[in-house]
Amino acid sequence: MKQDIHEYLSELEDIPGTRVYTAQRARRGYWMNQFAMSLMKAENRERWKADEEAYLQDWPMTDEQRQSILDRDYDRMLDLGANIYFLAKLFSTDGLSFVQAVSTMTGMTVDEYQAMMIAGGRSPDGVRSKKAGN
Amino acid sequence: MAKITSGIASSHVPAIGAAIDLGKTEEDYWKPVLAGYEWTRNWIKSEGKPDVIVLVYNDHASAFDMKVIPTFAIGCAESFNSCDEGWGPRPVPVVEGHADLAWHIAQCLILDEFDMTIINEMDVDHGLTVPLSLMFGQPEAWPCKVIPLAVNVVTYPPPTGNRCWALGEAIQRAVESFPDDLNVQIWGTGGMSHQLQGTRAGLINAEWDNRFLDRLVGDTDELRHIPHIEYLRETGSEGIEMVMWLIMRGALGKKTRCLHRHYHVPASNTAVGHIVLEPEE
Repeated sequence: MKQDIHEYLSELEDIPGTRVYTAQRARRGYWMNQFAMSLMKAENRERWKADEEAYLQDWPMTDEQRQSILDRDYDRMLDLGANIYFLAKLFSTDGLSFVQAVSTMTGMTVDEYQAMMIAGGRSPDGVRSKKAGN
Repeated sequence: MAKITSGIASSHVPAIGAAIDLGKTEEDYWKPVLAGYEWTRNWIKSEGKPDVIVLVYNDHASAFDMKVIPTFAIGCAESFNSCDEGWGPRPVPVVEGHADLAWHIAQCLILDEFDMTIINEMDVDHGLTVPLSLMFGQPEAWPCKVIPLAVNVVTYPPPTGNRCWALGEAIQRAVESFPDDLNVQIWGTGGMSHQLQGTRAGLINAEWDNRFLDRLVGDTDELRHIPHIEYLRETGSEGIEMVMWLIMRGALGKKTRCLHRHYHVPASNTAVGHIVLEPEE
């Protein structure tokens, strides 16, 4: 049952609207994620809230990565290697729930997204595979 | 001799913890989520009361950051505090470990060719504390000891379902070679379908989830062969957490019987699944 790593990784890229947290992404986003972890400490949250740009200068990221964080552009942050569980520290510091933060990536308002969830969520039909289009 | 007498699986959605902590469980949104745990709450106070729980969960970038990523880690400390995930620690009791049994299991697993990471100091996050709150409510102290067993399901690749099942089997052997008479439960947590990212966020697949629940019962071992890509496509990027349920299932032996089952959509972004199983000889 041993899987070929190249096939395994290429399948992970075949899912629409999904960035699986692979080694490649984890390496690219390393410092974004470590920055987010630092917000688990109350004193760091205070320093972050006082001056976000200055706080980010302590972390060796690209300007593009810094800007995506300042913009709270979660989709962009994921493209640049961040992971949602790390980013949870950032949106929790902003006082946002998972539903509020996650809904910003869907093109829906929070209310629309919440209504979709209460109605049973998003169907997997049509969003299983880019190649198969199913 | 110690024995694994039952297994419990449950989602561990952080918002459920917040609802319990903030006294919102009587709200219309939360009532049906919590109602499905009533049976278990009563059972676990009486005939279902464990001495120790081996609690399989995943750390959500809380105790482990990107510096170290253990695939399977076992908590061997005397106690574990609830960690601050960005909004302050959950107001829950300290989790008391069982260092003797934990070290025993760790040693057995390594000799059984599972190369465990041993953790002597660790805080635990909602992945571990939300299931405790769901089963035990809000006591002054948790009514039993807990051995945290953390699985990497964040950075790819996580362990295969087959490996998780086999780890469960090895945990059962390890527990049964511990000399003290202990009633041990194994819990598998996380899932069911959910995706927390991108345009596919909010994905739920009730049909797939329920087939997964069906196949935890009886003597089938089909679930151990589900590849990662199927979890991802069918149940969303975070549905992969369900591989942890297979550690629980593997530890119950060849055949199981279902004592209780619950499924509800949604809690936050997630399909809540819960099942109570016991080994059937």
